[in-house]
Amino acid sequence: MAITTFAAIDVGSFDLQLAIYEISQKNGIRCLDHMRKTAGVGTDTYMEGKISSHLIDAMCTILKGFCRVMEEYQVKDCRAYATSALREAGNSQIVLDQILVRTGIEVKVLSNSEQRFLCYKAIAVKENEFQSIIKKGTAIVDVGSGSTQLSLFDKDALVTTQYLKLGALRIKETLGHLDYDRVNYRTLIRELVDSDIDTFRKMFLKDRDIKNIIATGLCALYLNRKGGGDRQADKMTVREFMDFYHRIEKMSPEKLSLEMDIPIEHAYLMQPSVMIFRKMIEITGAELLWIPGVNLCDGIVAEYGEEKRLISFTHDFTEDILVAARNISKRYQGNKKHNQSLEKLVLDIFDSMKKYHGLGQRERLLLQLSVILHDCGKYISMREPAESSYHIIKATEIIGISHIEREIVAYIVKYNTTTYEYEKIMNEVRNHKISNVIAKLVAIMRVGNALDKSHKQKFDHVKITLKDRQLLIVTETSEDISLEQSTFEKRSYFFEEVFGIKPVLKRKRGV
Amino acid sequence: MSDEKINFTRPEYYQNRELSWIAFNYRVLAEAMDEHIPLLERMKFLAITASNLDEFVMVRVASLKDMVHAGYHKTDIAGMKPARQLELIGKAVHELTDTQYHTYNVSLLPALKKNGIHVITRYEDLTEEEAASVDRYFMESVYPVLTPMAVDPSRPFPLIRNKSLNIAALLQKKKGDQELEFATVQVPSVLPRVYEVKRDGEAVRLILLEEIIERHMGKLFLNYNVVCAHPYRVMRNADLSIDEDGAEDLLETIEKQLKKRQWGEVIKLEVEDGIDKRLLKILKKDFSIRDEDIYLIDGPLDLTFAMKLSGLEGYDHLRSEKYTPKPVPAFANEDSIFDNIKKGDILMHHPYETFEPVVDFIRKAARDPDVLAIKQTLYRVSGNSPIIASLAQAAENGKQVTVLVELKARFDEENNINWAKMLEKAGCHVIYGLLGLKTHCKITLIVRREEEGICRYVHLGTGNYNDSTAKLYTDLGMFTCRRSVGEDATAVFNMLSGYSEPLSWNRLSLAPLWLKGKFLKLIRREQEHARTGREAGIKAKMNSLSDPEIIAALYEASAAGVKIDLVVRGICCLKTGIPGVSENITVRSIVGNFLEHSRIYCFNNDGHPEVYLASADWMPRNLDRRVEILFPVDDETLRERVREILDLELEDNVKAHILMPDGRYAKVRREEKSPVNSQKLFCQMAKAAVPKKDDILKGRKFTPMA
Repeated sequence: MAITTFAAIDVGSFDLQLAIYEISQKNGIRCLDHMRKTAGVGTDTYMEGKISSHLIDAMCTILKGFCRVMEEYQVKDCRAYATSALREAGNSQIVLDQILVRTGIEVKVLSNSEQRFLCYKAIAVKENEFQSIIKKGTAIVDVGSGSTQLSLFDKDALVTTQYLKLGALRIKETLGHLDYDRVNYRTLIRELVDSDIDTFRKMFLKDRDIKNIIATGLCALYLNRKGGGDRQADKMTVREFMDFYHRIEKMSPEKLSLEMDIPIEHAYLMQPSVMIFRKMIEITGAELLWIPGVNLCDGIVAEYGEEKRLISFTHDFTEDILVAARNISKRYQGNKKHNQSLEKLVLDIFDSMKKYHGLGQRERLLLQLSVILHDCGKYISMREPAESSYHIIKATEIIGISHIEREIVAYIVKYNTTTYEYEKIMNEVRNHKISNVIAKLVAIMRVGNALDKSHKQKFDHVKITLKDRQLLIVTETSEDISLEQSTFEKRSYFFEEVFGIKPVLKRKRGV
Repeated sequence: MSDEKINFTRPEYYQNRELSWIAFNYRVLAEAMDEHIPLLERMKFLAITASNLDEFVMVRVASLKDMVHAGYHKTDIAGMKPARQLELIGKAVHELTDTQYHTYNVSLLPALKKNGIHVITRYEDLTEEEAASVDRYFMESVYPVLTPMAVDPSRPFPLIRNKSLNIAALLQKKKGDQELEFATVQVPSVLPRVYEVKRDGEAVRLILLEEIIERHMGKLFLNYNVVCAHPYRVMRNADLSIDEDGAEDLLETIEKQLKKRQWGEVIKLEVEDGIDKRLLKILKKDFSIRDEDIYLIDGPLDLTFAMKLSGLEGYDHLRSEKYTPKPVPAFANEDSIFDNIKKGDILMHHPYETFEPVVDFIRKAARDPDVLAIKQTLYRVSGNSPIIASLAQAAENGKQVTVLVELKARFDEENNINWAKMLEKAGCHVIYGLLGLKTHCKITLIVRREEEGICRYVHLGTGNYNDSTAKLYTDLGMFTCRRSVGEDATAVFNMLSGYSEPLSWNRLSLAPLWLKGKFLKLIRREQEHARTGREAGIKAKMNSLSDPEIIAALYEASAAGVKIDLVVRGICCLKTGIPGVSENITVRSIVGNFLEHSRIYCFNNDGHPEVYLASADWMPRNLDRRVEILFPVDDETLRERVREILDLELEDNVKAHILMPDGRYAKVRREEKSPVNSQKLFCQMAKAAVPKKDDILKGRKFTPMA
């Protein structure tokens, strides 16, 4: 049996974790070993804005220990990801370099949306439970140490996901100077939590019907904890949760640690965490909490396994990304009909050009996202829609795509209608591969967009063929296409510039 | 009497642990008195009480003395302050010592003589010929290693080493004034304590070394006349860390009052009965020791020599037949050790069954190309341990070897440091325990890469990984490759390596964080079962029982009607037969040829029995200040087997003593029942379980087809 041994490392804000997995087609993913060591990287970042050399030493020591364990299991591959503490640290590049030089481990910093997406994948690995839970309206509440991510599911698909700068460790550090025993400490946490989550309710939750909450993050595993080292159930009703909440509400971290067997450093984070869960239950009216007990490492291995085709998911994650994008478009009142026909056109062109653009599924997805989001800027300004779209996209979190991918989408949308600026883009992205991807996708996008200039979907039925360095686009429409034909020349010029292929628009003979 | 009104923590419900410990030594001494036991075995038991008593004084009495000096007045489990405890202990130790010597003089010496072993107590009793031979021995072998030391104004009183045997003498200058001078000489520990003067067929004549030296004192101080010479021995509380039991905050108190602690203080002085008064006065003054700490001994000091005597060459008929541990049936086949464990959990009962599979487990793993890692905790290891050799070899073979070495094992530190360094040199990753906690659990984990993925093989035991003591201590060990246990075992080693504790455990319970809670939970569950009229019962076996919380929980369960049967070899602070408190509790102690060492905990659980084995006793030090493991026996057949083992021990009516309500121990009354000697029966059972050679050979026969 082919078995891959894989190591996932999470350089978290609170602790460093290493998990060793065995992946096989037969048994799926199996965790062999999981170890954690507290480093408190986030404390430095959230307080000082950068990571001290003392802490870098500590991190390297822990990572060296991890190397030993990886050697022990003779792992085939390893991925190390870092989250908010490194993301937000001013000296993160230096830290990463130090780690690489001293331990040989290459740590990649995840953007928030990537990080959340991985967690989400980790949950989805628990296929049966996940599929049954999301049949009803579900919210994933992921309370990290630096931030909280709220994601909503509707009819099997992810509809929105929002990042709140509201994490357990961050709250604790914010209120750090206050005495824990003071009564108003709890009130202050509550106020912090309530204001952010209420905004979320107004903007995104609206009247969605949420029945289940999937609780993940640092302290989720301690929910419903009774102490004694025993394993607790992974589901709890809201009543059970509230009982638990009231039981621990007034406990000091020391007492909490003692009574529930929670490591003292985690006990300090319990109250802010539980407060966030409570508030989410309050605003959603959810009835059931599921605590799948996953962590980032589980997400890393899920991503790896999927990539290497060692495991497969029944849940369609691409669809999640698209649904989320469509929801963004909806919020900015994008033209749904136009977008749909444009999507088809552009993707058809992309597919028929496969041999010439050499791009893959991921770029196809980015192109699709660009189409979905290309007109959202009109919501802001009719005069400069492209520029406005660009800014909206750059500022909007789209789960599942990385920071740089989001930037690619923003560029495609911007240069869809404005003059392409090679140098400027190159200067900004500083990577010729990425700038080439942008150029190619802009070229395709422009052709598609030119065809549907009137937004009347005259090109719903077209046939696209490649012949003699010409891209023949043959439409069956009987309507007048002179508007399209006039812009087509001008717009297809860039396509020819990029691919050396000339797009030609024709009406099917005999129509 | 309503249940709520009983306060189960009242001090009068508890026995002081030191006194209970002394009671245990009486039980051992009873073996030395038992005429049914081969004579030289009886000598061994006498020696054990002597070395036990030495350790007790050095560790426990010393601690109590420290408490008194530090003004530490906290009461113990039985409500006694340290000073009061010392008072009672002193009395009890005097009595025990008297009994020891009475046993030695009245029953053992004459019996030895009857069997041709003559221990000559006085030099004068030697024949002329013998005396000549002894004199020769003295001049040739003893004299050169002696260091006589005289005391005068220019030479202060020398430091007398802890536990050493010495001879004090009063001297008078041959020429000069009549003033008496004091001198002392240590009986050299490099020479055998017992000198064989003559062997003649069945008869042997022996004399003790100090007797020889005493008679030749004149040769050591040539210009003096020896007025008198007598052996003496001191115990000090020096160079020993404070014993942890019973005084968690003692260290703190002492640190605050550092000046008051008297390092190296002599806490016990043994002298020969009939010692010259003047000599005793000098010793007393120089050691500044109180009368109650002086022991006038009627016989040879330091009875540990009886151990040497029990091994006297020849005379096998005066010893029990030597038992050779039997092979473990589950391994009596051609399959590899790993394949055998794959077939199901394997239980081993040492020393009835051999410890060899455990040694073999590590040896095979060290050479197996598929083994990735070996992790093990080592507490007390034998001098030339094959386990250590295998671990070192494994590291040299490129395996990841992690060894937790507990340096804090009492009296073993130096030994431990030596081989720990050796392991490090070989490339093992050596961890030296956790700060403030002794690692007492016995666990081995082997990570092996197999066709189906990583497989983890775990050995868990109640006794140390020590192949020598495994021949003498009764212990249980289990091999398993259950995934749940493997995961926990991995987590144990992660924790010991300094990583965070896991969020939860599958099957194992660990001290100091979770174990006591687990035990209390299990005891209370039985109580609840009894209260609601369901089946309940607790049977447990351990070395010592002294944890106040556990005892209170047992009392409460007993009061609720839970039947509790305990086998506690040593200290037991629980009292039986207190009306309304412990009427349902029985306590037995088995003292036999093998040292009872296994820890077994069985809970009836309304007819769904749960059986656990552990490295921990129900003692505060085990539950609060050590890393210990409790593991369940999940295999149904094995669970039954463990229950049978415990049941048989509860039926023992030969070697078992039962704790009476008055705190004394009495031999179990056999009445009409046939004798049940559990250790003997286990030996027979292990023998019977060995597959016949024919059976093994049959499997290897090549039978041609007809």
